[in-house]
Amino acid sequence: MPISKPTARIELYERCLDRAVEEVFLLMTGTHCFPVRDCPVEEREMISAVIGLAGALSGICVLSSGAKVALRMAGMLTGVAVPSLNETVKDTMGEICNMIAGVWKGRLPYLSSDCMLSTPTIISGTNYQIHNQRPEFRIERFYCFENCSFTVTILSESAE
Amino acid sequence: MSQIAALIVDDSSVMRKIVERALRQAGLVLGEVLEASSGMEAIKLLGHTHVDLILTDINMPNMDGLEFLRQVRVQNLAPDVPVVMITTESSEEHVRNAIAAGAQGYIRKPFTPDQVKDRILPLFGMQ
Repeated sequence: MPISKPTARIELYERCLDRAVEEVFLLMTGTHCFPVRDCPVEEREMISAVIGLAGALSGICVLSSGAKVALRMAGMLTGVAVPSLNETVKDTMGEICNMIAGVWKGRLPYLSSDCMLSTPTIISGTNYQIHNQRPEFRIERFYCFENCSFTVTILSESAE
Repeated sequence: MSQIAALIVDDSSVMRKIVERALRQAGLVLGEVLEASSGMEAIKLLGHTHVDLILTDINMPNMDGLEFLRQVRVQNLAPDVPVVMITTESSEEHVRNAIAAGAQGYIRKPFTPDQVKDRILPLFGMQ
């Protein structure tokens, strides 16, 4: 189902993303997560999970947070407190990003079966940014759960 | 009820633990729980181990879940063992492909323990 007006399409993508994030957090952790205006960067050490999108839409979905927020997410998903930024945390971020991307595209009939997801790639460190050369669109949304904030970004090089 | 031996196939170790937890919360009495991070690894396990239930993701490196399922059926590695897909892929086409390949059930990620219970228990004559 093509949407002719770019603004309307972006607004639809944003609404679907908000619902996807809410659904993933509620079902997998029992926690309510909601959109917020911004995501103050209070931690030096950051971690991002990247899921590639290919097919009807080509781009990436990125989940980014500070390290402490990621530890909190991992604890909530696994049911066990995680003391440091270890493989469990990276795995958790990858899985949450995977589910967000999957639910998001599943809400869009023209992407559901024609947009494929890659396995996750994890980036961690300090003071980095993720760039895409010339995205056709960029959606960046901020979310909050239990006073923890994180960002989900969808960059697309092309879309039908 | 006798214990059920399960094989959980997912490239995420976190997700494998979550699935195991959901199976226990669903009321399944689990015996041995085997884990594999890819279809290839799972096929090797099935070559020498009997299980009563297989749960597999679809998107994995080194043989995805659908190809793994096809190989299980073609090679008769787990005759009469139910295979349930647990995956982020939710389109009707993906579900049809999984059923056509021999899956007995399909659970979409994210999921609740109740959703796991509703899909899995009936496979063993339970509710």
